[in-house]
Amino acid sequence: MKNKKVTVTRRDFIRGSVGATLGFTILGPEWLKGVAGKSSRSSVVIVRDKNAMDTALNVDKNVLENMLEQTLTHVTGKSNRDEAWHELVSPQDIIGLVPTPLMNPTHDELIDAVKASLISAGIPAENIRNAQGRSVDLEPITALISLPGLKAHWLTGIGTVIKNYILYSGAPRNYHHQNSTKLGEIWNLPQVKGKTKLILVDALHPVCDKGPQVDPRYRWAYNGLIAGTDPVAVDAVCLKIIRAKREELRGEPWPLSPPPICVEAADKVYKLGNSDLNNIDIETIGWAEDLLV
Amino acid sequence: MKPEKINLPNTIDGWKLEGAPRLIDKTNIFDYMNGAGELYLSYHFDHLSVYEYKNKSGNDIVVELYNMKDSQDAFGLLSLDWGGEPVRLDQPEEEKHREAVIPQDRAFYGKGLLRVWSDNLYVRIMAFKDVPGVREAILRLGKIITAGRSHPPPPEMLLAVKHPTDFPWTLRKDRTAYFRSYLVLNSLFYLSHENILNLDLFTEAVIVTYEKEQESREKQSARLLVIKYPDYGKAVTALDSFFKAYLPDQNSKLVPDKDRESQDFFHIEDGWTGFRLSGRGLALVFECPDKKSAREIIQQALLNTL
Repeated sequence: MKNKKVTVTRRDFIRGSVGATLGFTILGPEWLKGVAGKSSRSSVVIVRDKNAMDTALNVDKNVLENMLEQTLTHVTGKSNRDEAWHELVSPQDIIGLVPTPLMNPTHDELIDAVKASLISAGIPAENIRNAQGRSVDLEPITALISLPGLKAHWLTGIGTVIKNYILYSGAPRNYHHQNSTKLGEIWNLPQVKGKTKLILVDALHPVCDKGPQVDPRYRWAYNGLIAGTDPVAVDAVCLKIIRAKREELRGEPWPLSPPPICVEAADKVYKLGNSDLNNIDIETIGWAEDLLV
Repeated sequence: MKPEKINLPNTIDGWKLEGAPRLIDKTNIFDYMNGAGELYLSYHFDHLSVYEYKNKSGNDIVVELYNMKDSQDAFGLLSLDWGGEPVRLDQPEEEKHREAVIPQDRAFYGKGLLRVWSDNLYVRIMAFKDVPGVREAILRLGKIITAGRSHPPPPEMLLAVKHPTDFPWTLRKDRTAYFRSYLVLNSLFYLSHENILNLDLFTEAVIVTYEKEQESREKQSARLLVIKYPDYGKAVTALDSFFKAYLPDQNSKLVPDKDRESQDFFHIEDGWTGFRLSGRGLALVFECPDKKSAREIIQQALLNTL
């Protein structure tokens, strides 16, 4: 059965049998085992401030710093920023920041705020480095902080959390199309596995259409940060927001195409976290208008 | 590879041109735009010239001129999204496409982005911030780029879809797209992550969306996909591939006969689907509410013109 050529199609998604079909093709039956084996819950924090950007889309650094502190304390349950960082990383860690470089890149202001915040918390500046790109030496890095921009993607449906490490594969083209299902395996590479301490999504100005290049008509001021320690849960919440915004914009069903199967596969095959929104607690802080969750 | 003979101004409304254009071809397109390069390579792409304008407040304008090998591929890129405000640049005032299945305009503006089809050029001019004055500057650049260029008609392939006025279904002109690749098809209407219809640079395809109002229910929509293969043999092979991947549970009744048209319809999860094969033309319908609709819609494809 495993060797039989089976192609995933639209019909599998309608039937809800995509997992089974993929399980017998490129991924093996782990997909099905994963369905039976999960029970734990995950948490995702959304912090928004209406004034994070002005009407010209300039970021207010002070507002952003406050949002970052709120995000950190709510993700960790600690009472202040420094304690929160020490819950996630230690001053001995070599910390790699992983922003999104292309198509809705992570705001520089957010990268700078994270760096400054880490330093204020006692992390030596020389221990903080950029860790995005295929030429990055991940060996000495002991902690990764993923800082993707919230966006849809024309080859994988969504291009936010799980996809943010694609360049670590050394062969990003191998993870598009049907093989986008396998994006989760990059998180299990020896030089990556277990190192991610925080996923902090730049949702200040997301893009809800797939591109392939940014079209400003499909961007909007969400003015948010979305964070957690479960990459799949954070991506699942991002997906919900993108889907809701698409329907709102068009006023009619506008499904992501191709379907973002990498999120479910990251859960059921690669065991990276929860993709089922029923198992995700979403905590929202701040500006509540048009939350989309 | 040389930049096209378009003289862009050194300054425009306070924006200043920064240096020579960056030239991108097939060898370095992925360095420039990562996976987005797949889109342009799925049409007949020649090269891309990128010009950058900067102003004092740091609101850059990027001018991208995608040089396609022919006009229909540049058209195809525009056809992937007919949204935005239609704008007239160098388009003849009285232009009326023979093809009634698409909007009449060749340029669209929205929130700081101008997209233009001009002969073999697909143009994207984008400001990172849609501030006062930027629209005017962008439209002026668009006019300069398109001035004096020819206006070939849209691809003849679009004539393979009828558009009768008395048809019970409404054709959504703003959903019509022209393409050659399954990646593009999947971004418009997902069929499979694999290339089950054998689409490539030697095929041409058009997808159209039909809608029908229904009393106290959501609008019903259905799709018609028309593909032109290089020859009959390739069309038959593609249909066979489609059957195996998409309809493995149906007994294919296809008996290839070059001199006879064949068609069949199947009830599947999302409604009625069907095929019609004639010569090198293949039409497929999806999401039809009943067999009658599937028959009606698939007859909108003029396969004998391909």
